Formats: sequence, C-alpha cells, structure tokens
Amino acid sequence: MNRRIAIRDLTLALGGLTSLPAWATNGWTTHSFQLNQRYFKANEQHLLATIVETIIPESDTKGAKSLGVPAFLQKMLQDCYEPTVSENIKNGLTATEKAAQKQFGKSFDDCDTQQKQQILLGFEKNEDTRLKDFYSLVKNLTILGYTTSEYVQTGFLKYNMAPGHYYGCVPVKK
Amino acid sequence: MANLALDAKKQNTYDAIVIGSGISGGWAAKELCEKGLKTIVLERGRDIKHIADYSTAMMNPWDFEHRGQVPLDIRSQYPKGRAAFLREETLPFALKDGVQPFVEEKPFTWTRGYHVGGKSLMWARQTQRWSDLDFEGPKRDGFAVDWPIRYADIAPWYSHVEKFAGISGNKDGLQELPDGEFLTPIELNCVEQHLKKVLIKEYDNKRHVIQGRCAHVTDPKPIHTQQGRAKCQHRNLCNRGCPYGGYFSSNASTLPWAAKTGNMTLRPFSTVHSIIFDEKLNKASGVRVVDTNTKEMIEYYARIIFVNGSALNSNLILLNSISNRFPNGLGNDNGLLGKFIAWHNYRGKISAEYDGFLDKTTDGKNPSNGYVPRFRNLFSQETDFLRGYAAGIGAGRGSSSSREGIGEDLKNSLLFPKINNHWGVSSWMMGECIPIEKNHVRLHETLKDPYGIPQLVTSAEWTDNDAKMVQDYMEQFTEMFTKAGFRNIKAVDTKSNPGADIHEMGGVRMGNDPKTSMLNKWNALHLCKNVFVTDGACMTSTGTQNPSITYMAFTARAANYAVSEMKKKNL
Repeated sequence: MNRRIAIRDLTLALGGLTSLPAWATNGWTTHSFQLNQRYFKANEQHLLATIVETIIPESDTKGAKSLGVPAFLQKMLQDCYEPTVSENIKNGLTATEKAAQKQFGKSFDDCDTQQKQQILLGFEKNEDTRLKDFYSLVKNLTILGYTTSEYVQTGFLKYNMAPGHYYGCVPVKK
Repeated sequence: MANLALDAKKQNTYDAIVIGSGISGGWAAKELCEKGLKTIVLERGRDIKHIADYSTAMMNPWDFEHRGQVPLDIRSQYPKGRAAFLREETLPFALKDGVQPFVEEKPFTWTRGYHVGGKSLMWARQTQRWSDLDFEGPKRDGFAVDWPIRYADIAPWYSHVEKFAGISGNKDGLQELPDGEFLTPIELNCVEQHLKKVLIKEYDNKRHVIQGRCAHVTDPKPIHTQQGRAKCQHRNLCNRGCPYGGYFSSNASTLPWAAKTGNMTLRPFSTVHSIIFDEKLNKASGVRVVDTNTKEMIEYYARIIFVNGSALNSNLILLNSISNRFPNGLGNDNGLLGKFIAWHNYRGKISAEYDGFLDKTTDGKNPSNGYVPRFRNLFSQETDFLRGYAAGIGAGRGSSSSREGIGEDLKNSLLFPKINNHWGVSSWMMGECIPIEKNHVRLHETLKDPYGIPQLVTSAEWTDNDAKMVQDYMEQFTEMFTKAGFRNIKAVDTKSNPGADIHEMGGVRMGNDPKTSMLNKWNALHLCKNVFVTDGACMTSTGTQNPSITYMAFTARAANYAVSEMKKKNL
C-alpha cells in the first residue's frame, strides 16, 4: 500500500480526523537531494552514474540510473560515511578509469557493457582491498537504493505498509 | 510579598503529583484524574502528541533520505555504544549524549525514553501475567524477601488494565501464566504450531508454546474507540508511534484519557530533583523540579506523590531526597534503597532451520511472537540453579535473492526474490535474575548531571546462577528443537550487558517488614506513606514475564487505594 492510500485508510480507521497532522499533508515525495556539488566533480559524478547503471542496467525493467540511484549514492557517501571512505570512492573512480584505459585503451564510458562489467568484476576479486572495498560499497549502496525505491518496492517486492492481517499458515502461491 | 509567595504556592499546589509519563505514570494519571484529583504529570523530556508527533509513522522506505541510515553529523550527537542502533525511522525517540550521564562502575546498558510516553512508545508490547508461582518464588527459594501480596491481590487489577489497554491473546489455561481479559488472538504459524504439539507430547504436557499476549487492539471494543484507537493494522512499524493507536501507549491511551477529565496538567521539560519531606507533618509535601530549558528550580506541592520515573530514575530521585529526617534518601532508614537491583537474563539466543511445511508460508505481519512460559523449577526445585526462564520464539518462511553477479542477472535476482527452501526459527531467553544486595545503584559523591543532580552509579553484574541458566536454556532448547526435527541449530550466549533487556527492576522493593523492605503492600513507602512507587523500582523479584502489564496493574491498584485513603482522611 502506498502512503497516500495508507493515509486515506488512517482517516477512515479513526472515524475521520478533522485535521490531519502536518506530516500527512506536506509529504516527502517531492524531497530533492541537497547535494554538495563540490563534493564529487562533474566527471566523477558521471563516472559513478555509469558504474551504477552497469551494476543494475535499464532494460524492459527500470535500471538504477533512471530511479535516481546515482544521486542517492552521492547523498549517502556525503552524509553517512567517514571522509576516508569517501576518499577511497574517489580513488576507486580514478582506478576504474585507469583500468579501462589499460585493458581496453579507451575511457570507461566508451567501453561496451561486457567490458564495463569485466572491469568491475575484476575489482570484486582484486587483491587490493581498497579496490575491493570500493566496489563492494558502491554495489551495496546501489542495491540498497534500487531495492528501496518506490518502483521496485511497489511493483516487484509486494510492499504493503498496512496488510491489516496475519495468517500463520497459507499455501505458497505458485 | 508574603501574599505573593502564598499565591505562588497555591498556584503550584495540586491534589497529586505524578513523576513520569511512561507506561506506569500514564496509568497513575488516568486513575487519579478519573477520581477527580487535580494532577500534575512531570515529564523530563519533550511532549509527543499522539498522531501529530509521530513524524516518521507513515513514511515509506523510499521516503527516508538515507533509507534509514543516520548521517554522521547526527550520529555523533548520540552515545557511541548506542550509535549502531540508531535509525532514521526511530531517531525522534533516541536519547542524545550528555542529557543524563551516569557512571558504569560495572558495564550496564541503560535505555531510557525521555519524552512524553517514555518507553511505552518503544516497548515490545508483550503482556504476560504473573502467577503465584512467581509471587511465592522468593519465599519458597529463600532469596530477597517475601512479596507482601499474592496473585489474588493483583488479579482484578490485571483485568482492569487489560480491558482498557486492549490485550490480544488466547486463554491457554496454564497455571504458570494466568489467562486474562483477551481480545481476538493472533495465530501461531504452522511451524510454531508444530513445535507446540511436539512439546506437549514429548514433555508430558509440561512445556508449551503459546502466542504471546500482547497490547494490540485486534478487535476494538467501545472502550478503545472511545480512546480514539483503531484496530491494529499489522504494520509492525510500532516503534515509530502508531497513528492508529493499534498498540497501547501512554500517548495513545492513558494520557489523553486523563486530559479529557480536565484534571490533568502535563508539564514536559521538568526533571525531578527530589521529593520534599515535611518533618512536622511527617510526610512528603511536594517535589523540586528543574526546568530543563531555563534550569530554574521550581517546587510543586500535593497530598500524594506517585514516583514513576522508570526503575533506576525512581531510585535516583529517592536517593537524592535528603532531609534531616532522612539523610540517606527518602524512607531509607534500613539502608536498602538502591540495593537488590535485578533485571532479566536475555543472554541466550538460538536459531535453527526446518524443512517441513514447504508448501506453506505466512501472510501479513505478526506484531507479537510465540512464547514458551517458564517450565524449569516451576513446582519444585529440580536444577542446580534457582528459578527459570521463559522464551520468545518465532518462525518465518521469508524469501531472499542472491546479490551475486552484475547487470541483468543481478537485477532479475533482486526483482524476483525466491521463497526460501526452508523455514527459519529463532528463540531468545527471558530468565529470572535473583536480586542480590551487592547489585545496586547509588549517587556519585561529586559528579553531577547538567541539571545539578548527582549522577547515578550503576554497580551490577551477572551471577553464577545466570550463567547456569543460560547454559540450561541452550541445552533444553537444542533438545526441544531437535525433537521437533529442526536442523542447523545454533545456540549462543551473547554475554550481553546487564540491562540490555531493558527490564531493570528493584532498589525500592515491596515487603511486609519496614526493616527489610522499602514499600508496603500498597506500594507506599513504609516511612512516608503518601509517596507511592509503582514502576519497576518496586519489584521484589523479577519473574520471567515482560513486566509492563504488572507495573500497570500495581499502579492502578495503588492509585485507587490512595484515593480511598484520601477520602478517609488518612492521607
């Protein structure tokens, strides 16, 4: 159930509140990420978005980029992690670009999907723990941002804020 | 000038003072206001209005800017040890660093709820009654002192609070866990029912799995709709505050009810410093409060005082209530105030998997959980440790998706999680701790909190009895799970800190004899009979049950007693 329906049901359940509290009427759906534009340079932002889209790409279902996950990643890195962690992300971005040049003689952006995947998977098993940590954090945050998006929660993961019941023993739906 | 002072005193005079607005303070307020007493409720934290102030209650996962994770600059404002538990969803109820520093002489985890409603907003909502097997424990097994009451004294008050609060549960007919006034039960799931059957058969009908009785309105009665509360929606987002009033809290239930009488004054930002003792009248005349915004000290006066500051803070207030008559704390001639602190032993945890019922799953969310009432040493001593443990238990099917790989495969795995090929089962113990004199709290000699109140020193540690009990829990549950056909059974002693259960109790215990106890059978101080302590501080022993419902019943009982004594001019 989405928030709008949940709030409608809340009003019904309580027999019609005369006035809803501020949190029910203001809404957060329009909140835009307040990003510090100097935190990641434009080229770093672009590269990060390309990596995110490589991890979860667009096809007949939406990918991470079109769900705003790159901005979410920047927000998380900016607000929730120690500076050393974010520094390592910047290092990782530089390393990504270098790896593309070294392995394929072109920028990461110009690599095809398979080449991009190959570079990132190379980090996953890399002996350099800094590269490993870089990819692991970017991947985990991408998954977090993607799977908690409204599109994935309501369209695929059967998100229901208020199921209204609990049945302890029902057949598994095929 | 004299008249002004007199007016000020009159203005600050009520019939009753209630210290604390949590689960027991809310009940004191409701009962006293309903009986017509002008009552001031003092709360040290800010106000949280039902519905209006549950700012995260209706937020979806994607509405949280950091998807629940708390940004570093905010995180740094909270105590280091607790930072791991901070979430954006529940941040409004977290306690910031430095508000009330205390001294852990030995490690103690002290969770506090400093806002109107206290921990009643954040509790686990389990409400199991005590039986005489619990009340008779200290006497039978020779520890602490005998409780001055028995089940028959408290049973009608359990009913009284259950009907109003709204308790869901089955009538299970168990002597060790008396039935109450229950709303429609929540059902056990297939695996929990399976375990229930196995235990009855394998243990000669002496071990049981029941659905935990819980403070959820599963089918609202008129008394609940009159409170403005609606049916539980099974959201399991309780710890954000429930805008439906689906579970019981002071905010949703007792406080608005008390306010409706017109007799309640709620004063947030009011940290109680001490209780004022009038030596001429030989009773308490009021309390000193520090306004946490202005740091100004203000006095309030009343004929009766209910101390519901949460167990350790109620100890602190009494210890800090120094007078010529009571140089060691209010009512503390015997020197027992602050001693015999106990809690619940939540150290043991166990998990397992089960391969049965693979064609079955659950639907919706269970706001409660399965419960195994105490079976050890119930009717006679049978182990090398005293007392026993209850346990929470839960089984679930769940689904998961692989996070391996990259690209389209990863995406499809995330979008289409597969139902697990087994059930998960988990259990956690809730053991009775034996109160001992050595486990205590006291005032620090020099250190003060930001309001000039001495800091509390906590000095409490596990005993051998606790360690043996953890061992027994792990062995017995491994055996029970094995008999049920569960596999991959993992038992662990988490060695969590005392207090991590958030059920700290005692220090102002009840008893028959003023020489060996602080409170009489009506929860009044033996030596200052217009002061009532009805939160966890009053507990002579701990039982195994989640204690809130018992505090509620004690409070309602004591409040009604206090009012009748006032009418008889005895107070």
